[in-house]
Amino acid sequence: MLSTQFSFRKGYRARAVFVILNAIFFIFMMVCMIVPIIKILSDSLMNHTVYGLKLIPDEINFIAYGRIFSQESLRRPLVISVYTTLMTTFIGLLISTIGAYILIQREMPGVKLFGYMLMFTMIFNGGLIPTFLVMKTIGLLDSLWAVIIPISLNVSNLVLMRSFFEGLPKSLFEAAEIDGCTPIGIFFKIVLPLSKAALASIGLFFAVAAWSEYFHYVMYISDTSKYNFQYKLRDLFADKQEQSEGININVKTLQSAAIIVSIVPFMFIYPFCQKYFMTGITMGAVKE
Amino acid sequence: MKKNLLIRLTGLGLAVVMAAGMSGCGGSGGGTGGGSAATEEYSKPESIKMTFDTCMTFENGLQDVCDEYKNQTGIDLSIEKPDHAKYYEKITLAFASGNPSDVIEMGSTYYPENANNGALWDMTDAWENTTATAKSIIDESYVDALKVDIKDGNGPRLYGFPTVAGNGTITYARKDWFDEATGGNAPKNYDEFIEMLRKFKARGNGAIPITAAGLINSETPYDIYLREFYQDAIPDFYQKEDGSWVDGFTEPAMEGALQRMRDAFAEGLIDGEIVTNNTSTCRDKFNSGLVGAFNYWAGMWCAKLDDSTPDTELVPLPIIEEAGHYIERVPTAMVITNNCSNPVGVFEDLIMYSHDGGAGQLLFTRGVKDKHYTENSDGTATALAYYEDPNTLVEKSFYAPELSITEWQDPIALDPRVESSLQVFRENREFATVPQVSDVISDNLANLNVVKKEVIANVVHGNISVEEGMEKYNNEAGSYVEAILADLNSNG
Amino acid sequence: MAGVNHETLVVKKPPLGNLLYKYRYFYLMAIPVVVLLLIFFYWPMLGIRFAFSTYKLKHITSGAGPDYSTGFGNFVALFKDKFFIDSFRNTVVLSFWNLVFSTVFTVIVALLINELQHEWAKKFVQTVLYLPHFLSWVVVASIFTLLLSAGADQTGTDLTTVGFVNAIFMKLGFIDHPIAFLTTKETWRPAWYIIQRWKETGWGTIIYLAALSGISPDLYEAAEIDGAGRMKQTWYITLPSLMDTILIVFILNLAKILNVFESVFVLYNELVYSVSDVIQTYTYRKGIQGNDYGYSTAIGLFKSVISLFLVTGADYVAKRIRGYGIV
Repeated sequence: MLSTQFSFRKGYRARAVFVILNAIFFIFMMVCMIVPIIKILSDSLMNHTVYGLKLIPDEINFIAYGRIFSQESLRRPLVISVYTTLMTTFIGLLISTIGAYILIQREMPGVKLFGYMLMFTMIFNGGLIPTFLVMKTIGLLDSLWAVIIPISLNVSNLVLMRSFFEGLPKSLFEAAEIDGCTPIGIFFKIVLPLSKAALASIGLFFAVAAWSEYFHYVMYISDTSKYNFQYKLRDLFADKQEQSEGININVKTLQSAAIIVSIVPFMFIYPFCQKYFMTGITMGAVKE
Repeated sequence: MKKNLLIRLTGLGLAVVMAAGMSGCGGSGGGTGGGSAATEEYSKPESIKMTFDTCMTFENGLQDVCDEYKNQTGIDLSIEKPDHAKYYEKITLAFASGNPSDVIEMGSTYYPENANNGALWDMTDAWENTTATAKSIIDESYVDALKVDIKDGNGPRLYGFPTVAGNGTITYARKDWFDEATGGNAPKNYDEFIEMLRKFKARGNGAIPITAAGLINSETPYDIYLREFYQDAIPDFYQKEDGSWVDGFTEPAMEGALQRMRDAFAEGLIDGEIVTNNTSTCRDKFNSGLVGAFNYWAGMWCAKLDDSTPDTELVPLPIIEEAGHYIERVPTAMVITNNCSNPVGVFEDLIMYSHDGGAGQLLFTRGVKDKHYTENSDGTATALAYYEDPNTLVEKSFYAPELSITEWQDPIALDPRVESSLQVFRENREFATVPQVSDVISDNLANLNVVKKEVIANVVHGNISVEEGMEKYNNEAGSYVEAILADLNSNG
Repeated sequence: MAGVNHETLVVKKPPLGNLLYKYRYFYLMAIPVVVLLLIFFYWPMLGIRFAFSTYKLKHITSGAGPDYSTGFGNFVALFKDKFFIDSFRNTVVLSFWNLVFSTVFTVIVALLINELQHEWAKKFVQTVLYLPHFLSWVVVASIFTLLLSAGADQTGTDLTTVGFVNAIFMKLGFIDHPIAFLTTKETWRPAWYIIQRWKETGWGTIIYLAALSGISPDLYEAAEIDGAGRMKQTWYITLPSLMDTILIVFILNLAKILNVFESVFVLYNELVYSVSDVIQTYTYRKGIQGNDYGYSTAIGLFKSVISLFLVTGADYVAKRIRGYGIV
């Protein structure tokens, strides 16, 4: 396997130096990334305003977190967020795998047209008012589908998915075809099982896009019971100069806590996705 | 088996489309285009659809307010409350799809333009002819402030009704710093004001003498902040005594204002981060005790700022001599769209009712009895806590009580800090006028404002001198100014 | 390896009828995707015609609809507007460099992550690195405004309030006066590039790490037997295998190159307008007061046409390099 030996003996010295430098580089990177997030965490625990960079809270107060999980207007959006995220990930992966599978059929008449039709939508769009009017005409206003479908139809993700499919060895397809597999059989037996890394990463893209969606909610949804958590988060941040609604706890504390709550799920999801990225897993499956 | 899967997959795709087509349930269409709304007879509306921004949330019982309204008047009231940040986009979309609500809350930046566009019902006659109690108890100056002349030969007309007073900002000081610096005597003129800021500054430890969210406000009135420095300068178009329009930015007074801000900034008296500040950073700085003086909203915010600033109280300062006055913004308007089928009825039964000085106003201000407040035996009342927050008392349903425009006896006593800051503000204010609208103005204003902001910021930061700033302004904004002035002056 | 599927033989194409039959399942699968595309993307595109009209708030609120007598008037007005030209130039500069930095830096970080020895270290590092992606730009801006501040008193007598970054630089002796990074013309763009990298680098590596898992370990084993060191393996195996993904990500980003908005909107200010104002911040300001949808659609169309050229160009280059483009 790959040489992973760590030693300062001659011949390994350069490698050892590299490993150390690499570690230092990532420690530096992680500090840069984590400091602002620790600041938010610290702000979320102090129920008073602190202006400036304070990384160690001078009080530990979970009042804001309690509020998020007890207040109906914050808890319900969390449920909506989870629901739309799951739906979007599923439908998004469905559309992009199907689309990508079609796109790799290079001999299929019309496949180019299909490809251009997809690409065109990445570059041109109809603008706010026409899109709104279409949503209204097909009766999607105030329906969560108005959020789920546009995010699921993501051409970038579809094209990325196709590039993964293209990396699969052609010989496998041919062999399967000779064995009498239908296209559907190939799709489920070969394409999907061999694309776990792609499904994990692109699935993550869909999940995150749905989780952080805000704009579609603002435009197409007026029913306050259908807003997601990101929407509420933005709402907390909106600078309402002369308006204020009963928030007795410090607004900044609540904002910070809400940010932390919106991040936490993805701290656990990533390591789970990452296990599909391990080098060699794909090809290993082919050999079996 | 495999085929089945395929069919299932494609079937699911199609089902998604079909479900999409069916699950929606568009708006419950308001009245159909009323078109030319002449002075019709009054008839009671059956239902009213209203879009509102600054009201309580549904989670805190907005629906209960609507239910109580139905109880009192027999009219169905449905409210749409879009996201604050995208409120005007949503309204534009509603207009674009031909289905705006009957009644819409509209700020003074958007109200005149929509009036000019002919989207709003002219309520002048309805107001003049009404026999409602509101007519006799409303302070007419607030109503007059909303009259717009759309140059159709009819003179100024009323297209929206004030919800509450426009309110404005005043300068607050931290009481402990203030007492030490001035011995408790508010500065009367610019020299005393600067002297106070210098003493704040001398405290060290990063003390910021005065802060604000920007050197110039991004919408009218532009000079609402830093009044002590702008003084008689008006960084906007205004009409002189003889009726001609001028650009205040090119008047000599503006140079003086720029010089004052530049000097104060160079001395470290104005927050060095003023350009990157937004209102929430200013509040944070003030609340964490870094700031001596801060120009912010009068009224309820006085109590809020005070509550979240530990160790000290707030002193609302009267305006200094040279500046003369604080500025009261044009009130926020409640407009009736031309989409409304029964505008007279809506005007009487919703708008007039909400200012009736009695049950209606109480509902639109304090909410529902026994849900948002309770009555005491002596006729006064006590606010209850919000549904969602047992620690905070309900402030309002739609209208802020402290900003009421009628002679209304609020059964619930106001926080003394709210009252005292408003009193200082009202003793020192002048009313702003509705901004002018025309195609020429809307085409050029955005670019003009960029130049203004750039010039002010660069002069104050000492990157260029006042003269250079004026030159830059004339060079870069000259064409926009000319176009707008020509337009304003041609219309008289 | 992908990309080496040039057919050297001239294969006789089967008749169209046979092909259509052969791919019948694929057509069936394409139907829902095409239907969704038509409804959600192509139908609204009819609105592009507004670009050739005047369509202001008054046309909307009065129900009159757009006024097409304008023709190309919106485009003429665009190119006469100094602010639009400036914002266009800024957009190109900012997005071009951002695209370059993002591609180079993200690939390097992905390769370095791949070199980490332990699985848990990889997972931990990646998780931390991609967290900033989840913060909205508003939050990122408020944090960096604080970190990069030159303090409340920039006249130099009292430096107790300077931001974290300036404090470190001053301690280390790099500078003796704080630099107002976000309000100085010379430093605003570099600061913006760095903040962009801070927020998006970790996120960007995901796609490359997924692609790295597709590289056959056989290739490395063979190279090792040939005596190739780690550097050589990276240069001759890893990087070429990633090239496909790099190209695709690059082209996909190119399609969005002119869409810079929120990151600038929350970080720019009047002192740096001349280096930071981009097309969408310009449209936003115009929209607030002008509300001319004809005009803003015209700007959108202009951007789309530029993107179309860029993407087609890149696609052509990709075809030359690896035999086929992204379509």
